[in-house]
Amino acid sequence: MTTPWVEYCLWALVGAVTGTALTAWTLRVAQGQGRSETTGTEASELSRLKEHQQAWEAFAVCATHLIPVLKKQMEGVTQQTERAAMDLMVHMKGLALPATTSPSAETSTNLTKVVMAMQFQDITQQKLEHVAQALDQWHTHLHALLKGPQDESARREIALLQQLEESYTMEEERRLHAAALAPDYQEPVPIETEPTEVKSDSVTLF
Amino acid sequence: MSKTALVVDDSPTMRQMVALTLTNAGFTVVEAEHGKDAVNKVAGGSKMDIVVTDLNMPEMDGITLIKELRKMAAFKFTPILMLTTESAEDKKKAGKEAGATGWIVKPFNPELMLKVIAKVLPA
Repeated sequence: MTTPWVEYCLWALVGAVTGTALTAWTLRVAQGQGRSETTGTEASELSRLKEHQQAWEAFAVCATHLIPVLKKQMEGVTQQTERAAMDLMVHMKGLALPATTSPSAETSTNLTKVVMAMQFQDITQQKLEHVAQALDQWHTHLHALLKGPQDESARREIALLQQLEESYTMEEERRLHAAALAPDYQEPVPIETEPTEVKSDSVTLF
Repeated sequence: MSKTALVVDDSPTMRQMVALTLTNAGFTVVEAEHGKDAVNKVAGGSKMDIVVTDLNMPEMDGITLIKELRKMAAFKFTPILMLTTESAEDKKKAGKEAGATGWIVKPFNPELMLKVIAKVLPA
């Protein structure tokens, strides 16, 4: 999921830069700065840039339509996993012994493992929410960019996108982000961690 | 008389899991969906023996909740544990400064959580 996402970000940035370049170019030509008349090469270049900008605008329009759809799909997955987790909880409560009965060591260990494994739903939901936040920002940015590259809200949205990492709450998310951007990233990405394992530093008492 | 626990988390599954862990250990559990909900539920002067709260929640986050609870006489010395996926040191520092007693990173181990609770509960 991350690699195409990063690729998309890069292309979008290229699009923004191209749009800015085209505006600057158009202004320069319109004001007649540096050239008294447009040469054939310049006209051809201008035409190519216009086509390029039109393609990016078409892409932006398409993306603004698709992003809410992708978000809905993600929300659907979250809701389904939440329902499944809640169903499992109901069954587990039925299996759990009342407080007055001492469960065997084996039952206790099994219940502990089930409770830990079931927390995948909450953790996955949070990760998806962070992706959804980024999608929201892209959506707003593309909307703003369609109004023009110099739009103030577009600049604000770009600044927000650069703060994407700040929305992460998990070390795993931060490392995955860094690894996706830098192929030679050395820190291990802990995506293989068993959900039933507790890290030694999971508890801090103040 | 059984001890009471306030469990605050916007995820219903997490709330249920913490509640199950505590109920099996003999606690009476009050659940709240977010900080504001928790404040409303104890606004009448209800006392709790322990509070377990998430960090990132809508309406009111865990840090703000702790600050609000610490203003109340009934919660001045109540142990408050943060239960969150967040493990960054600066966030832990913010929790400590707000008045948290401890910090547990999800996924939590029920047995370990009960040991921590036994440690922070007044004798």
